[in-house]
Amino acid sequence: MTTLPSAGLAAGSRRSTRLGRRSRAERWAPLLFLLPAVFTLATVSVYPVLDGMRLSLRNTMLSTQEDEFVGLSNYIRLTGDPQFWSAWQHTMLFTAASTLLETALGLAMALVLYETFKGRGWVRAAMLVPWAIPTVVTSKMFGWLFDGQHGVINWLLLQSGLIDNYINWYGDSRTALLTIIIADVWKTTPFMALLLLAGLQTVPHSLVEASRIDGAGPWQSFWSIRLPLLFTPLLIAGMFRALDAFRIFDLVYVLTGGGPADSTEVLSTLSYKVLFSGLDFGYGSALSAAMFITEALIALCFGLFIVRRMRRDNG
Amino acid sequence: MTDNDDHVGKPAAVGRRQFLKVAGITTGGVLAAPAILKFTSIASAADRTNVTFASAKFFGKRTVAEMVDVFNQSQSRILVRYDELPPPSSSTEVHQGLVQRLAKKDGSPDVFTQDVVWIAEFAGAGWALPLDEYVTADEAGAYFPGVLAACKWQGKLTALPWYVDSGMLYYRKDLVSSAPETWEQLVAAATDLVKAGKVKTGFSWQAKQAEVLICDLVEFVTSNGGSILGDDGKTVHIADDAAIEAVQFMYDTIEKYKISPPDVRSWDEEPSRTPFTGGDVAFLRNWSYVYSICQDKTASSVVDKVGVVPLPHFAKGKSAACLGGYQYGVNASTKNRDASVEFLKWLSSPETQLLFATELGLAPSRPAVFDSAELGKAQPFMQTLKPVFVGATARPVTPKYSQVSLALQSAVSKAVTNGNVAEALKEAKTKIESIVGA
Repeated sequence: MTTLPSAGLAAGSRRSTRLGRRSRAERWAPLLFLLPAVFTLATVSVYPVLDGMRLSLRNTMLSTQEDEFVGLSNYIRLTGDPQFWSAWQHTMLFTAASTLLETALGLAMALVLYETFKGRGWVRAAMLVPWAIPTVVTSKMFGWLFDGQHGVINWLLLQSGLIDNYINWYGDSRTALLTIIIADVWKTTPFMALLLLAGLQTVPHSLVEASRIDGAGPWQSFWSIRLPLLFTPLLIAGMFRALDAFRIFDLVYVLTGGGPADSTEVLSTLSYKVLFSGLDFGYGSALSAAMFITEALIALCFGLFIVRRMRRDNG
Repeated sequence: MTDNDDHVGKPAAVGRRQFLKVAGITTGGVLAAPAILKFTSIASAADRTNVTFASAKFFGKRTVAEMVDVFNQSQSRILVRYDELPPPSSSTEVHQGLVQRLAKKDGSPDVFTQDVVWIAEFAGAGWALPLDEYVTADEAGAYFPGVLAACKWQGKLTALPWYVDSGMLYYRKDLVSSAPETWEQLVAAATDLVKAGKVKTGFSWQAKQAEVLICDLVEFVTSNGGSILGDDGKTVHIADDAAIEAVQFMYDTIEKYKISPPDVRSWDEEPSRTPFTGGDVAFLRNWSYVYSICQDKTASSVVDKVGVVPLPHFAKGKSAACLGGYQYGVNASTKNRDASVEFLKWLSSPETQLLFATELGLAPSRPAVFDSAELGKAQPFMQTLKPVFVGATARPVTPKYSQVSLALQSAVSKAVTNGNVAEALKEAKTKIESIVGA
């Protein structure tokens, strides 16, 4: 008993000595190495965001040369603009629907691919094809698939007896957003599957085997062992996807341009039109700022949930 | 070349010496001529005034760049450098490219081409040079009145016409003996043809929420004696009875008369053109480019079966054709004003317009050029378009046209999709008043 405290004290003493000897250069080295990355991030990300915030407080308009400080006028106009709220709702709906569907389908794909079967390597490689195709190409492809007059989807649905007449997918305000969600789910589900497959690798196989010894079936071992342990990577992947989905632009722009009747207008396409067609930099920047704020809130909610989850796991 | 030299007057002394030198060398060595000529051109570049020309990209037998070369070779005082922008189908990108350049106010580009709806915007921003002192009344009178009117902003001429395009009615002349002159006649003819099983669709047009919807809107509304914006650029007429009736008709073609498929709500120019050239449609509203596709045996099922006429009108109105096409402008900040104006007038001259018509298929904005024998020989179809262009009607003229257009696209798309015409147009009126009232 007497010896142990002495040893501890000695060790502590040695550590203090080593810390004391550390040179000033050694202390600053990590910061110096980080400088290039910090500088790059500052110029590429932080500065544009701040400049956008600055513009949102002005009435800058290229076509009329207006450029004065107007305080929160743009934000007040924003809150009263039905077009903004309509676009905001579409964006939130798209984000929620596509993220949920992609997570669910991605998880199913990951579980299948995790099991050993002949040709698994090929399937894993093949499933990345949708993710590799540029989104504009995906948009054109889906434009043809869901064409109201000659689309393959309509033909298949008609042949199988599910519909009586061809559906005008892109020209109907009730179905246009649905086709965009379907296109995005098709394209991005493999990405989620890949992330979740990586997460599955971290689940100890011994736990699954132990549960089987105890008589648990596949369904029970999934709900009781795999899913709980997978939940944190699931949340992280979901957060990444939600933040990315919120910025959806190319599918909407190419397929529908925001129509018909504004039914597919999202914040990105609305901001783009106001900024680059209308040249209204003040209001356009307020729209962009609103997107940024909403995204920050989404990230915050996910982040808090993930942190709580991790604390519970550690406890 | 000799003729061109005569037209532009005698070359400068330096130019003359270079010419004599080249002539002498040419007589001695034919193979050496190209290299020598190129060297000469480069050597003399320093002595020439440099002008930059930013223009959208166009496709045809020759390119815009080659047209610029024609000018550069026709004289030796000015050297024009061509700054290529995307094609007009990427309208927003062309617009961005021009705005980025003009907003700097550093004099570049000296000369540019602009969509007809940007003229008021660029003039209102002070980017386009007023040309009134360089263009006489006689010269101005040589263009189509509608096109020239579109080139004016607050009474000043801030653009010079390049080529003209507009909406027109394509019809199957093998199915109807004469083209309909009123919308009522078109509905009747279309209904009969569909019932008889001659075609699948009666009338194809563009109801997609996009710029082309505004082009169609201008035609329907104006052909009913209505308008969108008053001549003062501030009085909003989109919710007047004439406009409401016209937009109601747009909706009715789909839901009441059923001569247009609901798919037109997602169609712009190309998706609406495809079934017409495929032989499934009786009447099509579109721009002039469609005709050459109609006559292409490899791409069309209606070769030699198509006629083109001005669009129909309502009982108390007259035919209207939405004005399209790109026009020329001079940068108000140019450092080479005289050279830029000279190049500008060459670009818009009868000879050059004829060249653009025959080599790039761009319809001239001068009526006289339409009557020339060369045009009749090279582009017989283009000559038949003259009556259409006489009725050319501009879209709303305002520096904030882009915002007005976005508001109209949203409202009219709601009207033709949901059927709440009066309500949607009243909303549009309120929004447009807040846009142009400032």
